[in-house]
Amino acid sequence: MSMNFSEFKRILGAEPRSGDPELQRARHSSPEFEQAATEAALFETKLDRAVALSAPVGLMEDILAISQQPATQPARKKWLPMALAASVLIAVGAAGLTWNMSRGWDSVEEYVMEHYRHDGDKFINLAVGNPATDIQAVLAKLNVEASPALAGIVGLIKYCPTPDGKGVHMILNTQDGPVTVIYMPDTTVIDRELLAFDGMEAILVKMHKGSAAIIGPDARRVSSLYATVQSSILPLPGSS
Amino acid sequence: MNTEAGRQAKFNQLAEAYGADLYRYAMWICGNDALAKDLVQETFLRAWKALDRLKDIKAAKSWLITILRREYARTFERKVPKFTDVETVVVTEDSELEPEDRTEVRLLRESILTLAPKYREPLMMQVVLGFSCQEISEELDISKSAVMTQLFRAREQLKSKLQKDGVTGNVHELF
Repeated sequence: MSMNFSEFKRILGAEPRSGDPELQRARHSSPEFEQAATEAALFETKLDRAVALSAPVGLMEDILAISQQPATQPARKKWLPMALAASVLIAVGAAGLTWNMSRGWDSVEEYVMEHYRHDGDKFINLAVGNPATDIQAVLAKLNVEASPALAGIVGLIKYCPTPDGKGVHMILNTQDGPVTVIYMPDTTVIDRELLAFDGMEAILVKMHKGSAAIIGPDARRVSSLYATVQSSILPLPGSS
Repeated sequence: MNTEAGRQAKFNQLAEAYGADLYRYAMWICGNDALAKDLVQETFLRAWKALDRLKDIKAAKSWLITILRREYARTFERKVPKFTDVETVVVTEDSELEPEDRTEVRLLRESILTLAPKYREPLMMQVVLGFSCQEISEELDISKSAVMTQLFRAREQLKSKLQKDGVTGNVHELF
């Protein structure tokens, strides 16, 4: 029995991409059916265009990092509080501070704070008790290397966006607890500038190549690492 | 391949196959970038912990969506409000569209987010995740006929919204 137009439109509205032979037969049964199918296909193209979203930078790395931790170890979340914080900003008309869209930060200070709010706690959690093994390989892609002293205390290292391209996010497992270092190979900073945000302290470091931010829960801890970090990430021999 | 390595390989396979799609789905369901990422991370955390329970890799997508939907439901149990910032993460190709097309796409996005969840959710399962009506029916635990009705109405509402807001062209002619 052939499909009537009303039934055809109902199915078309529900499953326009269906390859059902009966639907295809009906489509070719008359110009009216054919036109409806063509228009439905056009609408699907628009729909596809509308729902297309870019997966956030770093999402896949974040997911893959989950399998680096024991299955029994709970991980703290950081994005949900960010969602609430972001909502307040949106409510006052400051939409646009969401991490994923922030490809251009107003300042390196803003970048450091936003980056830490987004990833800081999560990576500290992932780094505890999990010494990183691929430190030099990761840094080599940025044409730098870490001293053995620094490499020995890196608990996690991953690439991350910076204001001027790719950098790395590291967690140092120091005797006083974990400290975050964001290395920005192509960004300049005001050397030794101190930042305080969300109960955290940070110091910006002018490096031999680029800069870094050292972030931890107290100023003493981050400042004590200034010289170590500055002298421990060095350009690879022969690199410019 | 040892057990742990096999487990990790299986997880990585899932992450690479479905991570981005899950994010897109989550984004359209909750309308908030940070919350969507949180949901996806939580989904994969739970998946990692329960990976041994996934016996059939072909069922992985449905399994992950089920986890994500439960987590989203828990989010609302905690009375977390939802906010809309889809425009902040839209694909950059938008800039290549003609102004009229950009307007249409923007209107469609806004309209999708105003759809009632009972329409938006099956529509996004179909459009973003490629679920069939049967798969949506199983996931939402409603009849296939009900799914088809919801999908039909979802599209009708979107088309109606475009028409109401003055977007002309082929979409207009559907009515």
